[in-house]
Amino acid sequence: MKKIWLALVLVLFAIGCGTQNENLAKGKELIKSDKRRKEERAVQEFKLALQQPTDNAEAHYLLGLYNSQEFYEPNTTDWEQASIIERGKQMFLAYQEEKRKYLERLVFETLRDDDLDIQNAALDALKRVYKQDDRKRLLNQLQKAIKSSDNRDRHNAHWVLGHLGKDDPDTIVPILVKLLEHGRTETRLNVVKALGEVGSEKAIPALAAVIESGSAKWERDREDPEVRQLAVEALGKIGGTAVPELVKIVENKGSSLRVDAIRALAVLGDEKVVVPLLDALKEQSSRDVAIPIN
Amino acid sequence: MLPFLLIESRVGLAPFGATCKPKLAMKWKEKMKRFDKLRYLMLIVPLLAVIIGLGCDNQYYDERLQMRVQQLDSDLKDRWSTSGVVVLETTPNGPADKAQLGSGELISYVIAEYPIRSISDFNKALKNGLDEDNNFILYLKDKPPLRISLRRQGDKVGLSVKGNGTVRVEEIRPGTPAANADIQVGDVVEKIVDERKIYSLDDYKKTIKKLAKQSVTFRTTELIGVKIAAVSALGDLGDVRAIEPLVDIFRNNTELSLRKASISSLQRLVELSVLNELFQQFQRANVNQLPADSLQAQQLESAAILGLLTVDRAENTATLKAPFGTQFRHRSEALYKEINEGQLAELAQEYIQIKVEPEQEIRRACLAILGTLKPVSAIDALIVVLENPTEIPGIRFQAGVALRQIGEPAVDALIAAFENGDTSTQDIAASALGGIGGAQARDRLIKALEHTQESAIQLTLVDAIAQIGDAPSIQALERQRQQYQDDDDSGIRIFLDEVFKSLAQKSM
Repeated sequence: MKKIWLALVLVLFAIGCGTQNENLAKGKELIKSDKRRKEERAVQEFKLALQQPTDNAEAHYLLGLYNSQEFYEPNTTDWEQASIIERGKQMFLAYQEEKRKYLERLVFETLRDDDLDIQNAALDALKRVYKQDDRKRLLNQLQKAIKSSDNRDRHNAHWVLGHLGKDDPDTIVPILVKLLEHGRTETRLNVVKALGEVGSEKAIPALAAVIESGSAKWERDREDPEVRQLAVEALGKIGGTAVPELVKIVENKGSSLRVDAIRALAVLGDEKVVVPLLDALKEQSSRDVAIPIN
Repeated sequence: MLPFLLIESRVGLAPFGATCKPKLAMKWKEKMKRFDKLRYLMLIVPLLAVIIGLGCDNQYYDERLQMRVQQLDSDLKDRWSTSGVVVLETTPNGPADKAQLGSGELISYVIAEYPIRSISDFNKALKNGLDEDNNFILYLKDKPPLRISLRRQGDKVGLSVKGNGTVRVEEIRPGTPAANADIQVGDVVEKIVDERKIYSLDDYKKTIKKLAKQSVTFRTTELIGVKIAAVSALGDLGDVRAIEPLVDIFRNNTELSLRKASISSLQRLVELSVLNELFQQFQRANVNQLPADSLQAQQLESAAILGLLTVDRAENTATLKAPFGTQFRHRSEALYKEINEGQLAELAQEYIQIKVEPEQEIRRACLAILGTLKPVSAIDALIVVLENPTEIPGIRFQAGVALRQIGEPAVDALIAAFENGDTSTQDIAASALGGIGGAQARDRLIKALEHTQESAIQLTLVDAIAQIGDAPSIQALERQRQQYQDDDDSGIRIFLDEVFKSLAQKSM
């Protein structure tokens, strides 16, 4: 019996001596196991793994995924936020080690995670990429994602772009506006949503054009109704100088989006809206109007 | 399209030129080239103009009726199941204007009427009526209108008529649509009506052109959803200017859904108006944040429930929520003044009566308005609702709640109702009195409890007295408990035990 154990230990040792980062392997093994407090113990291994010469990128990334416990300090109100930021930092470090691989992983894999904290950590990491590193490559990946055939990617990309746009509308809004011409309806849908989340007044003319396309003569020039409806919602989120644009919709009696515009305006609470709404109430009810020949 | 045609003609003609003498062919080619450029420009420019023109062409000026109409949004049909064209403007004194067709009206049907006075009238009307949509409406004397539809174009209606001046049905062919309708030989044909549904601007143009020599009737559709949305938005905006139009819709509109929306918007405006004192504190200080403990607790709570501000007890702050809360403080005063003038209280008083308002949802909203405004003048009207045996129990109870909210001034009326009413009235009045409290209400309730043997009302009284909960009330309940001490099965004894248990818990 003892001999078997010895052999096993030897074999493991032999594997450990390879190029693989030993602690990293151990940590990963722990995550797969059903041991008690496995994540906490795995995190310890990943931290040790960072002291080894190889595979640091993956160790950082895994710390980003699993290292949430130690920031748990119930007395500070935003411990959760602190934890997310720390994890985002780890993911960013992973990216710095192996840029191409981890950028793709963050955009197309990490953002899809069920855990909201992990999504937020990935968002944090991507924000760091945007601020500190290769902005162009990141934007390319996000555009690829928002054009994807997978709804999860499109949704995640709109979410990230919305957040990036809040900090830097001057760059993001023109990119999103250009994407409004993309052939996939669901892509445009997410683009419009992202424009709403960015909330920049710069997007108003493009959104107005989307809305107005509904009364275009040719079918092919008309934007999908759902996209147009979301464009109205986006104007509502932008507020400010979008109010006159929304009022215009309320006043356009042939528009199918009047109800949406009214609802958006009600939330904004702007008193400029009262008069157009009162005008809408004065419109005639259904009736028959006879027009004699003169 | 055009360049394509030109290229084709070139390809088609060149071999013909080539078979001629070479010189001729050269000339032909040169001519072709010049012709090409010139023609190209001459034709392509207007063509482009037409294309661009058509592209923006979602409007049309109707010369005969002198009005401008506009194509509807494509998805209006899918979302609101409406179709048609919308009137943008009418030229003053034109036919449309004279008929009082207004801007913003949605024309969804064009209706043509053909009076029948001869056989040829009938045949012509039938032909026009069946055109396009294969159906028409036949008006026979002393009969309801009949809609006749053909399955396919070209099918026979199966009806022939005779006579001049008065046209009667002569023959009905079996197996035809006419045979399946309620038509008898000898029926007098009065008129044929053709209703054309309008789907697009082109439809409109075509139909109007066909009916050029005819009187027409437009059937308009109201986009009720828009008005409902506007009504609710006006409630949310809390602007004084909305009150009068909302009252007008509530009183005069025939559309129930719109009336319901109006009264609930008015209810919202009333709820907002009673918070005026609170909003004035912000307005006077010209800030959006104040210490929470400097504000009246109850108003603060209602405002928080309505989502107008957030209260942070730990930080002791009350912060108006942007955008609505921060904007509303500027409008609050005007709204309060207008509502305080009493017009709305009168309106609500009128519409809590079942004989005035059959819709219970509206009566409930009006009761809620009275509960918020607490007008003393409404007490009698509320007592009438409370006592009305034909009213829904829930609404009678709500009238009691409104009286309780009015408070002290309603005590006499409630005592009177309690003394003369049926069991339900007594029940509601007693619990309202319990809610109001005060020595007068308490003494009357205690007296009633000591004189009644009816177990149902006993329970209500015990509950009401316990609610008041002052020393004389507790003593009275003690006396009751002693009286029923040995009566193990009585409901009142068990209930009294419960009451004392919860009173003991409260004092702990």
